[in-house]
Amino acid sequence: MSPPLYIALRFLSHRKRALLLSLSGVVFGVGIFICTQAQTQGFARYFIDSTIGSNGALIIRSRFRPRYKALMVAGKSSNANAAHRLYFEGITDANQIMRVSRRFSNVVSCSPVLRGQLSARAGFENATVDLFGIDPVLHSQTTDLLHELIAGSFDDFRNNTSSVIVGSRLAEELGVDIGDTVQLLSPGGEYWRFTVAAIARAGVGSIDSTRIYSHARVAQTLLQKPFGASMIIYKLRDPDRAPALADHFENLFQHVSTSWQEREESTLQLFLMLRVSAGITVSLIILLAGFGIFNVLTMSVLAKVKEIAILRSMGYRRIDISAIFLWQGALVAAAGSVLGCLLGALMTWGVGHIPIRIRGLLYANHFLVTWDWRHYFWATVLAIVAVFIASYVPARRAAELAPVVTLRGSSV
Amino acid sequence: MNGSICLSCEAIERYLGEEESRVHALRGVSLDLEPGSIHAVVGPSGCGKSTLLYILGLLDPPDAGRVSIESEAMSHLGDDDLARKRNQLIGFIFQFHFLMEDFSAQENVMIPMRRLGRLSDEAMRERAAVLLGAVGLGDKLRRPSRHLSGGEQQRVAIARALANDPRVILADEPTGNLDSATGASIMELIRELNAAGATIVMITHDAGLADRLPRQIRLLDGQVVSDSATEEAP
Repeated sequence: MSPPLYIALRFLSHRKRALLLSLSGVVFGVGIFICTQAQTQGFARYFIDSTIGSNGALIIRSRFRPRYKALMVAGKSSNANAAHRLYFEGITDANQIMRVSRRFSNVVSCSPVLRGQLSARAGFENATVDLFGIDPVLHSQTTDLLHELIAGSFDDFRNNTSSVIVGSRLAEELGVDIGDTVQLLSPGGEYWRFTVAAIARAGVGSIDSTRIYSHARVAQTLLQKPFGASMIIYKLRDPDRAPALADHFENLFQHVSTSWQEREESTLQLFLMLRVSAGITVSLIILLAGFGIFNVLTMSVLAKVKEIAILRSMGYRRIDISAIFLWQGALVAAAGSVLGCLLGALMTWGVGHIPIRIRGLLYANHFLVTWDWRHYFWATVLAIVAVFIASYVPARRAAELAPVVTLRGSSV
Repeated sequence: MNGSICLSCEAIERYLGEEESRVHALRGVSLDLEPGSIHAVVGPSGCGKSTLLYILGLLDPPDAGRVSIESEAMSHLGDDDLARKRNQLIGFIFQFHFLMEDFSAQENVMIPMRRLGRLSDEAMRERAAVLLGAVGLGDKLRRPSRHLSGGEQQRVAIARALANDPRVILADEPTGNLDSATGASIMELIRELNAAGATIVMITHDAGLADRLPRQIRLLDGQVVSDSATEEAP
């Protein structure tokens, strides 16, 4: 053990109250940082998992054709930002696109969807619904639909073309349960009767309150669409690489491709803002803890002026003296970080078990938390940096003390 | 410079304070100390005794002049090198003992050894126990220094000064804060150290004590006004 470390340990062990004060600041700062990050990221993670699970990590939609601007003569009133693409609704060659895209290593599976807005009626209740005409087998491979079912049977849906799967909040709104009838109004003005085979809960309010799944062929007839798919949704091995793949698909297939990051940009930004906001707030706690350590160490330097002079007279260098105080800070930071990480884990576990009824953007019955080693890493880094800065000034001050002034003052 | 000189200073000038309160503390002080000698530095308060001691002990740089230990000039050394020399070659004994209060007697003696870093922890403990035994504190190794009497604390300080087997021991009124009986026993201990070969420079106000030492250096207003060694010289 180096002499400064030994002396730092001895100094700390004889100033238990100050040590406890410094330590508690770091422990609570680190613990609260971890817990708030786990919470805010927990909600964000749940949202991301739910939205990817229901809508896929990547979606291919309408076909487009570039406008050949070089051949066009711009009029005086023409808008410089005018769209430079012509869009054509629907995907006419879905099977071909899916066959090609399955060759990409990042693609796990894909599923065509025919989507349309309709009016639904059940008893005296009406609602506007988002109809997803799907291939049951492909869709169950591509999304988490099977896991989202909270009532009924997927097999009943698969084996009966006149059945539907209804979103959980939509089912509540329409007052329907398994086996009940839902009527969907076609663009031609006719009501089509469907039996509710299952009820699904994605956990995302906007999906659960509007979505109905039917068989693709039935949806095509009902919606009177000339094409079999209005979009293809993809399940990816690495959803974080979705933007790059979307760009590639867009160029390759000449269809609009959207990654989940682009699709949910506004919501993700909201979560990011919350995380940053919570992070800043809690970082202030850690900085305050650092300020506390600064005070404790400054007081310690003042209280140890005599000891510093003694050590200098016995041949301890300035760097040894500053190391003694830096070591004290480092020991507080190390112990505080370890204990803070334990506290953070405990608080995260505790918060994760707090019952809370969330029925808005997300569906949850308790606080959503995420367990991520990076929260612990960054909390520790933040604590170490704050404590180092807090220790540096007193340590430097201690090193600069002239021993003769103390010795002369005591011996005259 | 004479090869048998253990510690010497030459034309030392030192100013203390700043501007209007500036004091010319030492005025061209020169000394040569032979190995194994013992010297009393005497003089009234404020004559520059402690200042001289701190300069000889490499704690305070002189404004002019130079200090040499075993013919090696110290003036050009940086702060870290001076600290290293202090650790290896010099032992301090202060009037107020200056022990680390929370440390045990043994730990206090081990502090200079830790910095030197030549011994293992176990060897340092053993040496500290031997040194404390030599000053009559063999049974109080583990006792916190604040729980020792004034005389015992000064004995610990003496043991600590000997920890790294220094060439020179600089003592700043080592008996000044003790009763006469304890002071006499500490003086006896210092004489024993000298008899064992240590070079000792001791500041004292006690004229009787100084008279009993072979060489006296008298300072007045920052100057050496008498040196028994030079007076005895032919």
